[in-house]
Amino acid sequence: MGLSSENDRREAMKLCMFDLRRGQTEGQELDKILFFYPADLPLTTQLSVIGLSEGLITFTRVFSPDAPCEVIEAEKHCHVFYEVEPDIWMVMVVEKENPEAIWRVDALRSVLKEIHSLFMMFHGYIRALVDKEPSGGLVRSHLYYFIMDFLRDFSIGKNLQLPNFRDSLKEQGTLQMLTVGREAAIEVQSLVTLLESCVGNKQCYSMTMFQDLLVSTNLSPIDTLNLFTYAVRRLTPIALFRGASAWSSSRKTDTACNTYAGALQVTSVSAIDQYYNSHDPSPIRRHNYPLVRPLQHSKWSKGKDGFLTTDIWGTEVNSLVPMCPTIWLHLTEEKMFLLAYQHRGLTVILLVPVSSVSGDQGISMLKQQIIENASLKMLKVEEKLSRGWGGENAYHVSGYRYLLVDGDRYVSRASPPGKVTTLTKESLVALTKLREEVDSEKARAKWDNSGREKDIEICIRAKNNSWLIARLVRGKELYMVLPKGSETLLFAADATEKFSERYCNGAFSLD
Amino acid sequence: MPSDSNSTSSNYSSGRDDENPNSDPNSKPEPQLEPEPEPEPEPEPNKNPHLIDQSLDALENQLASISMSSRSPTVTFEGEEEDDVESREQPKSMNGSFSEEIEAGGDADSLEVGRHFESDSKAESSGVNGENISFTWLDAPEVDEVERPLSPGSSGYAGEMGSTSGGDEIVDDDEDDSDIRGVENDGVLGSNNQSVSGKRHADEDDASVSWRKRKKHFFILSHSGKPIYSRYGDEYKLAGFSATLQAIISFVENGGDRVNLVRAGKHQVVFLVKGPIYLVCISCTEEPYESLKGQLELLYGQMILILTKSVNRCFEKNPKFDMTSLLGGTDAVFSSLIHSLSWNPATFLHAYSCLPLAYATRQAAASILQDVAGSGVLFALLMCKHKVISLVSAQKASLHPDDILLLSNFIMSSESFRTSESFSPICLPRYNPMAFLYAYVHYFDIDTYVVLLTTSSDAFYHLKDCRIRIEIVLSNSNVLSEVQRSLVDGGMRIEDLLVEPTSRAGAVSSHLGQPRPGAGTPGRTADGSIGIGGPAGLWHFVYRSIYLDQYVSSEFSPPINSLRQQKRLYRAYQRLYASMHEKAIGPHKTQFRRDENYVLLCWVTQDFELFAAFDPLADKALAIKVCNRVCQWVKDVENEIFLLGASPFSW
Repeated sequence: MGLSSENDRREAMKLCMFDLRRGQTEGQELDKILFFYPADLPLTTQLSVIGLSEGLITFTRVFSPDAPCEVIEAEKHCHVFYEVEPDIWMVMVVEKENPEAIWRVDALRSVLKEIHSLFMMFHGYIRALVDKEPSGGLVRSHLYYFIMDFLRDFSIGKNLQLPNFRDSLKEQGTLQMLTVGREAAIEVQSLVTLLESCVGNKQCYSMTMFQDLLVSTNLSPIDTLNLFTYAVRRLTPIALFRGASAWSSSRKTDTACNTYAGALQVTSVSAIDQYYNSHDPSPIRRHNYPLVRPLQHSKWSKGKDGFLTTDIWGTEVNSLVPMCPTIWLHLTEEKMFLLAYQHRGLTVILLVPVSSVSGDQGISMLKQQIIENASLKMLKVEEKLSRGWGGENAYHVSGYRYLLVDGDRYVSRASPPGKVTTLTKESLVALTKLREEVDSEKARAKWDNSGREKDIEICIRAKNNSWLIARLVRGKELYMVLPKGSETLLFAADATEKFSERYCNGAFSLD
Repeated sequence: MPSDSNSTSSNYSSGRDDENPNSDPNSKPEPQLEPEPEPEPEPEPNKNPHLIDQSLDALENQLASISMSSRSPTVTFEGEEEDDVESREQPKSMNGSFSEEIEAGGDADSLEVGRHFESDSKAESSGVNGENISFTWLDAPEVDEVERPLSPGSSGYAGEMGSTSGGDEIVDDDEDDSDIRGVENDGVLGSNNQSVSGKRHADEDDASVSWRKRKKHFFILSHSGKPIYSRYGDEYKLAGFSATLQAIISFVENGGDRVNLVRAGKHQVVFLVKGPIYLVCISCTEEPYESLKGQLELLYGQMILILTKSVNRCFEKNPKFDMTSLLGGTDAVFSSLIHSLSWNPATFLHAYSCLPLAYATRQAAASILQDVAGSGVLFALLMCKHKVISLVSAQKASLHPDDILLLSNFIMSSESFRTSESFSPICLPRYNPMAFLYAYVHYFDIDTYVVLLTTSSDAFYHLKDCRIRIEIVLSNSNVLSEVQRSLVDGGMRIEDLLVEPTSRAGAVSSHLGQPRPGAGTPGRTADGSIGIGGPAGLWHFVYRSIYLDQYVSSEFSPPINSLRQQKRLYRAYQRLYASMHEKAIGPHKTQFRRDENYVLLCWVTQDFELFAAFDPLADKALAIKVCNRVCQWVKDVENEIFLLGASPFSW
């Protein structure tokens, strides 16, 4: 199987999902488990993780009925809870022993949130799947492949790299935007109008991206975030490149899968893949559910016509033409076809209601129309955007390491990762702790239900003399590390003020 | 309120009475308490299969003796030695069983102490029987200090009586109420009024809605899940709940881990495992985990102070051992400690505070304490409420600030100490958690008391002599009246902070660097119309001297008027402290924090830590300037506000 020995494959993370409405009679406890990673863990161990979780959910409800257990901090492990849907819980158990294992609980929880919201986008509510087939086989299969594919994004060698202190100047679950000039914005707008006219009378949505950055969209914030997250993971040029390189380096390739079953086959070998090769949970093996694995790696590629294609959604019955991907919109719960066109750094995603297009024929026609009417425009837009684009260090501000978050719009901007790595571990850990404090202040404000957002300003001179700054103003957050700060608090305050004036339109300035 | 305090006082004493066969005819026989000294002849204690029971009996006796005094409350300070002598001159039965248990792992000192403990328990017991009258006062109604008026601004965290608390039935606010009472209590720490009463809401249990809504629960339980202490509700009714807590802890333990914290919405459940003793806090008070954990440590320390860590042995012999009886009647001690967790900065600063006194006055007190410390006294403390007037330790011995806190809490919350001189075994958990010391306690007046600690169980008369010598010196040198005056004058007031350092020069000789307030001035803090705080919007500060292990906090001034505001500020300091001292990376050097309530500034150096609160609109540059001034001011008056040269924690 290619598995290394049990000893050196000690899992640093456990991840499970369980349904409290199932398996409530003695002997039926296994029924609760919808997903468990690693799947080869003895059932007794799986049950004990879920038993503890369930016990603490019940226990904490005694005091906190509206917000039961969110986290268990133990000496060696941290258990992060997230109720994804009523009575359906996800719990992530991470080990603390690794020196890299310093994190914000909120950052870990955002991984759970991301899993769920992406799952919803492709498969709808988990509860609906549970109800659809009460034996649980259907939902388990879907979750299994989905989450395993998801986790593979985090795997580095044999380990999973979860967001830790090195990501303290990142905000999971947010969009990163491209700043565009007025002229480019007008170009983009006219492109959007053009695309809409191609679709015709039907209600459609579009999302324009440049590299891994969002340029414009008319989707709701939640749908934007979900689609953006997916695009960055699988669709953008960088994601495609990543997929392709994984593809070429994989020892085992399987591109000729024209059936649903084929879609389940493995394309590259990693620790995660090894699990479901060797430890496929039996219920999944028994049933041959029609599975779609939207997060499967190396499955997207750019076609000759500029549209991105994949066979993840299977192929037409009597042809080799892949079926068009579909997603669910969060608010309207409407099923949409997903069309993605790419030209160099530019990716344009178009969502068209499934109900309004007559099958594959309609899709082909639509694509044809777009190529005929809009491809030139897209070329032009791409040119404009790349001319204004300052490269990966475009948003670097020298002397500052920062993160800006606009919570209302799910938008963030940060110092480029390459610049953040110049900070010492000490500064990054200190910032993580500071952010944890701010997280709890935010949570407190939420629970106090005062309705108003917390405004706060914290400025810390750490032991290593760097300044750590956190500012919360009207739902906007600014975190900064000034690695070479001078002695005085006034200097740090002044530096913050300047940053706010120049880069945040004074959002964090006093008065 | 007075009626309530009466009942609680009798609660407390009845707890003791239970241990005393003389007051409870149905209690199990307590051989050591029998008038005849040899009802249970055990010449070879080590071979005694009931060794542990014996130890327990001894412990119970200790508890009984804690509240025991050597004379009746009717007697006055002078001239009752004869009675005491009579009562004390009982033969000691030295079987040393407990000491053998204790000494393992201890040093020579602790061995010694352990032996003394055993013998003393006998002596105490004998004393009880020799003088039944010593228990009579326990049931007597409260002495008049309950009604005693407050001394305004008597302590850093004592508020004015102004805003009174609501009733206990306001469940959501009970934490505030109780804390308010706690603060009030600080103002009248002498009076064991409602706040330090025993169990509150004893009728509740985990099924009660009101119980579930309490803001801060504390539980102590044994590793077998038996309840030992609960802040609210009756321990026995909470047996099921206690078993649940135990199940959580052991479930995680069985997985090779140890649970520290569970977070749920605004609630935190904090666990602390100390051998066979489990401590749990369930709180929605927004205090950081590190603070709550520190509070559980203190709660454990308080328990150790009463019982020593040797209580662990009971659980080794019998895992199902029921400890509640050992702590019977000590509810007031725990309640009072829990209250102080909401107003006393010593609980998170791990430093003690001194009563402001002229240097010469404090020196006078120190020299007489020093005198007696030479003669077999390990530690001699002269205290006013929870503040130290002076303390002296024998060579090489050192007293941890937490021990001072726990000791003074124990003494002030136990009504028995107040009414007469006492000689009681206590354990200083930071000094030696395994062994008892013996504390001679005597109140000179309603607020001021002396504690003489020794390792010798038969030092009562010697210590009594010492106390008399101390008392003579103190009254001759007017120390006691200076203490009362200091209580009236209060400590440092932010309004008196002068921004220009030179303008102070002439005033240094007066009270804390400012002209002594006239007779009418104490009202200044009560009068909301006067103050908007000190310069640059300074509202309050706490200064901790690191090498002295001491802190000073300014008096509360408007606009920090109400007890609620004071507690909020206290919590803000607590968070700031935790943030500055973050374990993995701390301590930070400076912190500036502005929210809707305050501007907080914290400055940590090798010598001191300064916490200052300002108006939320305060100007940064000015605030920094004022902080520098505060530090200078503290340095200017440090020989009045700190005990210098004591360095109790230097080795």
